[in-house]
Amino acid sequence: MGTEWGSRLRQWWSTPVARALLALLLMIAIGFVFSADGAFFRWSVHRDMLRQVSVFGILACGMTVVIISAGIDLSVSSLLALAAVTFAWLTMPHGWPALAAIPVVLAVGAVLGSISGVLVARMRIQPFIVTLAMMVFGRGLAKVISGGRKITNYVTDADGSSQVVDLPEIFGIIDSRVLWGNLSIVTIIFLACVLITWIVLSRLRLGRHIYAVGGNMEAARLSGVPVRLTLITAYALSGFFAAVAGICQAAQETHGDPETGMAYELDAIAMVVIGGTSLAGGKGSVILTLIGVLTIGYLQKILSLNAAPEATRLMLTGAIIICAVLFQRERE
Amino acid sequence: MSQCNLGEPWRVQMDADVRVAADRHANLRVIFKDAQNSSLTQRAQVEELVEQGVDVIIISPKEAAPLTRPVAEAYQRGIPVIILDRQVQGDQYTTFIGADNVRIGREAGKWIRETLGGQGKIVELKGLMTSTPGQDRNRGFLEGLELDGNPGLEIVFSGEMQWLEPNARGEMESALATNDEIDVVYAHNDPGAHGAWLAARAAGREEEIQFVGIDALPHEGQQYVQQGILDATFLYPTGGEEAIDLALAILRGEEVPKHVVLGTRLFTGETVAEGGRPIR
Repeated sequence: MGTEWGSRLRQWWSTPVARALLALLLMIAIGFVFSADGAFFRWSVHRDMLRQVSVFGILACGMTVVIISAGIDLSVSSLLALAAVTFAWLTMPHGWPALAAIPVVLAVGAVLGSISGVLVARMRIQPFIVTLAMMVFGRGLAKVISGGRKITNYVTDADGSSQVVDLPEIFGIIDSRVLWGNLSIVTIIFLACVLITWIVLSRLRLGRHIYAVGGNMEAARLSGVPVRLTLITAYALSGFFAAVAGICQAAQETHGDPETGMAYELDAIAMVVIGGTSLAGGKGSVILTLIGVLTIGYLQKILSLNAAPEATRLMLTGAIIICAVLFQRERE
Repeated sequence: MSQCNLGEPWRVQMDADVRVAADRHANLRVIFKDAQNSSLTQRAQVEELVEQGVDVIIISPKEAAPLTRPVAEAYQRGIPVIILDRQVQGDQYTTFIGADNVRIGREAGKWIRETLGGQGKIVELKGLMTSTPGQDRNRGFLEGLELDGNPGLEIVFSGEMQWLEPNARGEMESALATNDEIDVVYAHNDPGAHGAWLAARAAGREEEIQFVGIDALPHEGQQYVQQGILDATFLYPTGGEEAIDLALAILRGEEVPKHVVLGTRLFTGETVAEGGRPIR
């Protein structure tokens, strides 16, 4: 009996989820030690960490899908900025209702993502190059739409006079909290994105195709997987999630900033990798990414609570990414 | 007018200031160039302006070293060169106009010390501390606060937000979580102060805290003051208007100073409508 449990435990311990969880628990334990005079034991600190990490987490959901397909998406940070600017532009100076603006913004993200997908799938350009180009293009487009400055509720009319309009209600709704102030809406949006990604990857045929294409594209093609369509859908999903993140970013900043989200794609990739999803493709899951997101979120929160200098933060973050990845590999 | 990077709102404002000042004089025509954050592009643009035979070059250089030579060559060919904000090496230019971040930080520190009456808990949200403006705004601030002579003042939290609003919000959440009492937030730029205000509002503590920023761009910091989000912001002047004034003086053949240090302006709820209160 005892040995059976023991072997089961050993078996569970060898799964990627268990190893990722252990890394997360270790991180939380570090938080208990460096608790900043007990601040770490208050739920509000965890709630704020979850809020701060949500936008990154939403990007990481799309990144997980693309990475499992053996690709990479560097454009998510720019598509986030583009979505933030477009959302602010439609709702504030143009006064669109939120219910009209949100689908348009999400569609913009999905369309630009699928353009990357087409270039990867049909033109056979490397994902790194395609999405690097889309990253530059998207940032440029965000600057064109915004005229290079933040789009705020300080609106200039056609006759040149400026006035402050009320911040659209939707901004306040997204940047609010539920459950008696204990959970941010953006965190719920993040968890919803995790759920959508989980359904796509684990419950839909599309998910099996994504794993197959990422594992071995030629084998997938021979066994009848629609490789091109699968890849295009993967990048479209990533663009879609980037747009979701952009709406959340705009709501939390109360404006659309064309410069926002610079280099967020690197954080998103780090979160996916720390969770244990391999950059080689074909393996991994969004649950791992969720754990990776929390691990980095806690790391950043602990460093921030203890007011660690930026240089220390950068070095520690780099070191911990390497440790986490080594830790993932050792027991494989 | 050779601008190093129109991707930054403050530099967009600099060009706008030059344009507004130049438009007051019918006999002035300004050619604007944007080097898009590349020293080599800017170098080529300076050379183009020389070839075009302009009367005065105004340049806000991206970096000192790569632009020193093209600027010197223009100067030696008899074209007056006005340098804005960032220096070049040596003295082969006509005049330099720049603001002093140490001084602005000092004014912010002094204002906070006086507003608090020498008694209070302060949060400092710093810009990139590997950048000169970040270091200067921190150094001047500490000088202005005079912590040694005011034992009642205390910096209870100091975080690096790297000029970025989302980071400032996260840092402020940490500050709020570790401190039950905060009287003033001093952020090295207005977006940082705005991010801090958003964090305080989410915690229901924005009324008990004063928020102070730097830069005071018309569409940004000044608006935040107008809306009652920030309590004070200090202008980081672009020098665009002064550059046109000096250009005219040079063209009239007058002697101009080699080095012009710009003052700042304080924007508070009372002074924002009249364009801020000049400090010295």
